[in-house]
Amino acid sequence: MAVLKASGLGKVFPGVVALDGVDLELRGRYVHALIGANGAGKSTLIKILTGYYPSYEGKIELNGQVISIHKPADAFRYGIEVVHQEVDTTLIPYLSVAENLLIEKLATPEEGFFVRKKRLRDEARQILQKLQLDIDVDKPVADLSLPQKQLLVIARAMSRNASFLILDEPTAALSVSDVEHLFTIIRKLKQGGVSFLYVSHRLAEIQEIADDITILRGGKKVAHFNRETFEMSKAVEAMLGTRPGDLFPTRIPTQERELVLEVRNIRWGQRLKNISIQAFRGEILGITGLTGAGKTELLNILAGSEKADHGDIILDGKVVHFRQPKDAIRNGIFLIPEDRRHRGLWIEYSVRTNITLPFIRDFSYLSFVLPFKEIPHVRHIINRLKLVPPDPGMAVKNLSGGNQQKVVIGKWLLQRARVMLFDEATQGIDIGAKQEVYALARELSRTSAVIFASSDVDEVLSLADRVLVMRDGQIVGEFDTRLVDRQQVMELAISAVHTKTAHSMA
Amino acid sequence: MTSDKTPTASKQVGIAEAKPLNIHVGSILSRFFLRYGLILTLILVSLFFSIRTQAFASVDNLLDILRAVSILTIVALGVTFSVVVNGFDVSVGAVTGLAVILSTALMVIWGVPWYFAILICLAVGVIIGLLNSFLIIRLRIPDLLATLGVLYLVQGLQMSITKGDAVYKGMTNPWSPTREIAGGAIHPNFLFLGQGFVLSSEVFRGIPVPVVIMFVIVLVAFIFLEFSRFGRIFYAVGGNIEAARLAGVDVNKVRMTAYVISSVLATIGGLVLAARIGSGAVKAGDPYLLDAVAATYFGFAVLNARRANVFGTVLGAIFVGVMLNGLTMMNIPWYIQDVIKGLVLIVSLGLSYYTTRR
Repeated sequence: MAVLKASGLGKVFPGVVALDGVDLELRGRYVHALIGANGAGKSTLIKILTGYYPSYEGKIELNGQVISIHKPADAFRYGIEVVHQEVDTTLIPYLSVAENLLIEKLATPEEGFFVRKKRLRDEARQILQKLQLDIDVDKPVADLSLPQKQLLVIARAMSRNASFLILDEPTAALSVSDVEHLFTIIRKLKQGGVSFLYVSHRLAEIQEIADDITILRGGKKVAHFNRETFEMSKAVEAMLGTRPGDLFPTRIPTQERELVLEVRNIRWGQRLKNISIQAFRGEILGITGLTGAGKTELLNILAGSEKADHGDIILDGKVVHFRQPKDAIRNGIFLIPEDRRHRGLWIEYSVRTNITLPFIRDFSYLSFVLPFKEIPHVRHIINRLKLVPPDPGMAVKNLSGGNQQKVVIGKWLLQRARVMLFDEATQGIDIGAKQEVYALARELSRTSAVIFASSDVDEVLSLADRVLVMRDGQIVGEFDTRLVDRQQVMELAISAVHTKTAHSMA
Repeated sequence: MTSDKTPTASKQVGIAEAKPLNIHVGSILSRFFLRYGLILTLILVSLFFSIRTQAFASVDNLLDILRAVSILTIVALGVTFSVVVNGFDVSVGAVTGLAVILSTALMVIWGVPWYFAILICLAVGVIIGLLNSFLIIRLRIPDLLATLGVLYLVQGLQMSITKGDAVYKGMTNPWSPTREIAGGAIHPNFLFLGQGFVLSSEVFRGIPVPVVIMFVIVLVAFIFLEFSRFGRIFYAVGGNIEAARLAGVDVNKVRMTAYVISSVLATIGGLVLAARIGSGAVKAGDPYLLDAVAATYFGFAVLNARRANVFGTVLGAIFVGVMLNGLTMMNIPWYIQDVIKGLVLIVSLGLSYYTTRR
């Protein structure tokens, strides 16, 4: 069984020690979890192991032999493979599943000029069968669901006989049942001798899947647990460096509720079937359900980004019509969208440009942007959201995920919202940033109606006052979160689509 | 908006200073070349030409160079606007050509007053911009293809106006059954736009009018894109159209405006060109397309901006102009000039983009 042992791993960038003397051991048949807040050094560690950097400090041994990994090809040679969070970047959407699986083979000179489709298909089927994946090999990758794509990338790594598989936040965009399926596959591969480095923010998952747990903070290894010694509270403490206060803010008494937004009989094709909801100022309305249940679609309609076929949106007692997001924003409905990189940010641009864009008119006189109005506001938002580093000129792409999300939220804080919509707002951000997002949502709920949609059931139940459960484009339950049981919500979210999901995945 | 980048860059240099000397010098040098490499190249090329040719460094020649690049700069700024919103407009060369023929034909063949001719051309420019944006936004044709189609359309219209003839004083009217001589002429006021000088005196020839027009347009475009909220919005659409839409920007209106600006600037370029040559040559606008695209993409690399910007485009246009002027003065045959132009572009852009990658 292959053993990869890294000792004293370090990486210094100009002015920053990104990783400092970290030891890590990956053994076959073990899942080693790596956790830490954003900026703790997880990415740097992964990049060293996969040959992204030409140089690093420390030594790496494979089965007792010192090896050096200076380029991606080295990592491949030693059987180290990584599945990144954003799988789309490694797949070619218009090629078929089979072609994507065997893309490297297609690129070798021995393959000849013509593509031998039948052999390609057969080989692809064999690979998928080994992992018990039922994906049509002729389908273009563009038609696959996100979990299917992720499994495909894992399958591709396995087909190259990887002995060490690094999964970088594999569950960030997966729903509960998809996560279960992924875990089944991880366990199966583990039995076959594969060693995993599993990077995630979700501690509950780690508790379920990991054999070893290493916690990084500020580039250093601050704690190590194994399955027996792991304790959630200790892990959180190690990640944050301080004793965590309650992760979720305390609720406000609900008597001061005021009806702000009402949605009546919204229908949108097969995606939303007769949805009616009410949102109040003074409470956080949670919406949960599997990915694809219709949460994002509903929020997009409320934000004017999509148009429903039928139904009314009533804001402060008046029916409103939104042709585009601009109209919703004028009415004080602000959306923090899912997929912040693509829908919420200009990653090449500065924090300042990002934060002031929606209300740029308020920082202008005769259409000239006035820096003496703009910059103080940006600094105010940076301080209020505890953005790190507190630099208005920093390009957003250089910020960690949590800080990027703060920028997305920060752009709506100039004006008081009537309704604030959060769509999967804590996806891929660290616990510290999550805590701040929760606190902010609670704070906003005093002055606005807050709708918080998330496929993370625990999150919604702990944060929200009231929860709606969606499934298959319908609302299948409404509960007071103080009175409901987690299991009940989960079952409700899963049950009817269970057969359908199982059919397409297993 | 360029100033946004400055704090980050200077900060990184500051941090690098704490490192051992070799890294320090290396990183500062590479940062310096990244930012100023192209400007440096421009200065070096100019120096080279002034040493090799006596006439190059004179004020008059400097203004001549600026006059020579004025039309290109105006057209290139149009392309820049389309690229800023992450689009592309290849119809500009044809639109420039159309303005040349249309303005002169209106005056020479139909005897339209010069100011009406200008207004009609500008209106046609707006209409072409609207057509481009209709094809791209409403019909969702990819920008390159839509504007390519419009390129052919406009080029065909251009030639149809005179049945393929050039426009000059005393030409036969192509639309007259009796082939009579066209009665109109190009008004001196119109010619002034391309051939006139302002601030002339006994010791100073004056500033060419095209340079003044270019300067005004450059200034307005620069202020619009760099300091106004519209600039923010334009770059927001170009940087991430979906994020811009969700932040309340009417993205289609912005894109439409950019294409209209592009066509109008191409039209203005054509009007100045017609005034400068004093007649309506067929397909006179064609060469401007490639030079304008080159200038715009050259501008990406200036000051390491990594996006289309007014300052970069102007510098790119001047760069092209300086080379042409210098090469002509050195008596390099015209048929080799394109080769040299291509080589210099490739080398300077290659250096800049190669260093940017890291």
